[in-house]
Amino acid sequence: MKNSQVAIIIAIAVLIGYTLVKLGNSATYSDFTTAATAEGETTTVIAYLDLDAEMNFVPKSVQFSFGAIDKKGRKQRIIYYEPKPQDFERSEEITLTGYDADTAFIATEILMKCPSKYNEQNEVDSEKIYK
Amino acid sequence: MNYIGEHLWAAELGRGLTAFSFAFALLSAVAYYQKGAQWKTLGRLAFRLHATALFGLIGTLFFIMANHYFEFDYVWKHTSLDLAPRYLFSAFWEGQEGSFLLWMFWNAILGWILTYSAKSFEGPVVGVFAAVQAFLVSMILGVYIGDLHIGYSPFILVRELSENVGLPWTQFADYLTRFPNFADGSGLNPLLQNYWMTIHPPTLFLGFASTLVPFSYAIAALLRKDYKSWINSALIWSFFSVGILGVGILMGGAWAYEALSFGGFWAWDPVENTSLVPWLTMVAGAHLLLIQRNKGGVMPSALFLLILTFLLILYSTFLTRSGVLGDSSVHAFVDLGLSGQLLIYLLFFTIGALGLLLVRYKGLPKKEKEDRMDSREFWMFIGALTLLISGLQITLSTSYPVFNKLFGPEGVLFTLYDRNKVLNEPIAHYNAIQVPFTIIITLLMGAGQFLAYRKTTTASFFKRQILSLVATTVITFAGSAALQMWNPMYIFLFWTSCYAIIANAEFWLRWAKGQSAVAGSSVAHIGFGLIIAGSLISNANKTIISQNDTFIHEDFPSNENLLIEQGDTVPMGNYFVSWSEQSEEGHFVNYHLDFFEEKDGKLQPVFDLKPRIQINERMGNVAEPSTKHFALKDIYTHVTYADLRTAEELGDEEWKNQFEIEFNLNESHYLYGKYQVTLDTLLVDAPDKDGELEYAVLGAGITVKTMDDSTYKVMPVYVVEGNEVKHMDTEIKELGLKFRFDRINYETNRPVIVASEHKEEEVPFILVKAVVFPWINLLWIGSILMALGTVIAVVQRLKRA
Repeated sequence: MKNSQVAIIIAIAVLIGYTLVKLGNSATYSDFTTAATAEGETTTVIAYLDLDAEMNFVPKSVQFSFGAIDKKGRKQRIIYYEPKPQDFERSEEITLTGYDADTAFIATEILMKCPSKYNEQNEVDSEKIYK
Repeated sequence: MNYIGEHLWAAELGRGLTAFSFAFALLSAVAYYQKGAQWKTLGRLAFRLHATALFGLIGTLFFIMANHYFEFDYVWKHTSLDLAPRYLFSAFWEGQEGSFLLWMFWNAILGWILTYSAKSFEGPVVGVFAAVQAFLVSMILGVYIGDLHIGYSPFILVRELSENVGLPWTQFADYLTRFPNFADGSGLNPLLQNYWMTIHPPTLFLGFASTLVPFSYAIAALLRKDYKSWINSALIWSFFSVGILGVGILMGGAWAYEALSFGGFWAWDPVENTSLVPWLTMVAGAHLLLIQRNKGGVMPSALFLLILTFLLILYSTFLTRSGVLGDSSVHAFVDLGLSGQLLIYLLFFTIGALGLLLVRYKGLPKKEKEDRMDSREFWMFIGALTLLISGLQITLSTSYPVFNKLFGPEGVLFTLYDRNKVLNEPIAHYNAIQVPFTIIITLLMGAGQFLAYRKTTTASFFKRQILSLVATTVITFAGSAALQMWNPMYIFLFWTSCYAIIANAEFWLRWAKGQSAVAGSSVAHIGFGLIIAGSLISNANKTIISQNDTFIHEDFPSNENLLIEQGDTVPMGNYFVSWSEQSEEGHFVNYHLDFFEEKDGKLQPVFDLKPRIQINERMGNVAEPSTKHFALKDIYTHVTYADLRTAEELGDEEWKNQFEIEFNLNESHYLYGKYQVTLDTLLVDAPDKDGELEYAVLGAGITVKTMDDSTYKVMPVYVVEGNEVKHMDTEIKELGLKFRFDRINYETNRPVIVASEHKEEEVPFILVKAVVFPWINLLWIGSILMALGTVIAVVQRLKRA
């Protein structure tokens, strides 16, 4: 057998092995219910901002807390030990990476999807006109 | 109805030019595909007309943006009256439509050059260009056939948007002057108001466009069954592409590092990954072409990699523009509903190109004799293969959102798993897998120079580079010791990247006697080695010096933001920092940070930084970092929080900053960045009278410890009597602190204490994050050398051609 063929076969084997291993033990998007059963384990949850819940940022202790609702409708208190992200109120959907502690979900990373980030809806307020 | 004040001529002109541009691109593709000199002339004419129409439409769009014709949706969305003219370019390619135009612009320029330079290959090469352009122009066509829309035109008026058609305001002929909405546009995202945004996208898109040239040559070779005469031209263009795409990607990194507060230059974001991968495969393809020219025998792999590179660019376009990445990327484009069209574009070229390669596979020139294990071509081939595998790994991991769409719970094809998959810690994931690949690549980059084509003798291989091997080992261990970097994998990578740098330098200067023929490759390899060494060292050894670990409870996540009160001087890493003042400059608020070093017991000022916040009411405020560059390290700071309220907005309540703490007994919490509070005792007095609770008095014994170790004890009291609740708050006058026993959380049965601060205690403060990146200059020097090396290589080949 040719050397280069051996090399290609090894390379393909590495890649297939990698894919199988990755798909086997890769993490999945979770929800707050599942996160609560595995306290302390890092998961990623896609959620929406709970507008009814209190949103509070205490700069001096760098603690930002807010409410979120996951796709199954479960509400959860989120604590984020980082400054409040810009434009947080405007976010449509929030991807939260973090872990569940008994009182709240501790987010280590927050990714927001904002309608305003690259585009803004062009809504004409027809009530507002020049007199 | 005749609307007043609209610039309909611009809309007509823009749309007309789009249609012409599309039609001529199609015509050119078809004509070039036919045989005969007349067809070729027609194809060329059509391509140039297509390009001319395209330049005209780009000019029209610039014109309406520069003149702020806000009746156009694209103008309204991306410019505003206060936008500085120098940001007009950034605004132009901020949206999907504009960035498609930028891409097409470069394709048209390169295609036009090829109508002169491609000579006998002009037909198939420019023909492929025309076909690609037809697909791209269709993305901005904006034609509706029933419910189906093809492309999204940048020349659409706000009143023509489907969500606005038929709304009452469109019934006013003078709507432009009647509604204040049209007086000013929404403006450019402040994140993009930066000079990097002016130069990074054009370079990157020129890189994207440049991958089309080797692809077209590969297709041309396959169509013609002429596997020889294309190599030289394709080789030059491949290295051109390696250089430009590489610089484009690195500029993105420099932009992120200089102007965005991501805290680094590379974050393994899907958008970054999908532009890195085509670069990796292009590097592999270009090196295979080198083998093919010098030795032969790798034609099928070379063709495959050059074709794959362009297909990966298309895949990247699909990922970043179809909205698939929405949950996993910070900077994907907004979905314009073009995903179907993008998918057709991707599939057309994938099936067409790979199909053609398969059909022709049998007739391709193959190896006559097996490579020897000690030949340069064998190890270059292994290197190319490693680059391909590395690229495929990044692609697979980045494609999780795509797999989820295909096989996830709502799978399009079928359901393989019941939950969408995700990478929880992407940075650690990619680093862990890519470090070994990088080790192989850098090792081969150094050793490859000492291998000869065909065969090498072991003795001469080692003898010639003994200096390099010794120098590399010495430098690696001295460097690791200086940096205290002891992770074996990192030391190994450090060794191989130093080896790549030193071996290439030795080969060039000592053995090749500084010959200009190998200058390009040597300089580029040295540059790449420096990039890897710089990335490794600056990332593996970065330290967050703003970490505040005083008083942090062991369960409390470490806090990377340092609180600095105005006028106060606080320690930060080896420095002391004070925030004296802030100044306003246009849209910016600058925060003046002075850094001091302790010398002989005194604080000596060393440097100052001005991280700033851009005030933007419409888009939200944005923090911009400020970095102090030293030869051996960078100090990178940004303001993560600042109170931007005016005195009026702040109000004048006496007690502020209410903060709730829910305690367990003997548990400590961190308060206002300067106190440690502990619940020592919980006293309960709840006598019952005739089996019923008469009243309950609860007292929480709290110890407050300050930074200078003074201790205060207080006991706020909470009384429940019948339905009435009373609080007896306690104050610590010296600290201006008040505690209230607010309630018992009945779910957890724990007391909730509310702390608040007296307004006089409230000194203005900011939160700052500061990171030290050691040796990061290696990365930037390496980037410049790699770009320079590629330029030398391309120029040398052009001279010889």
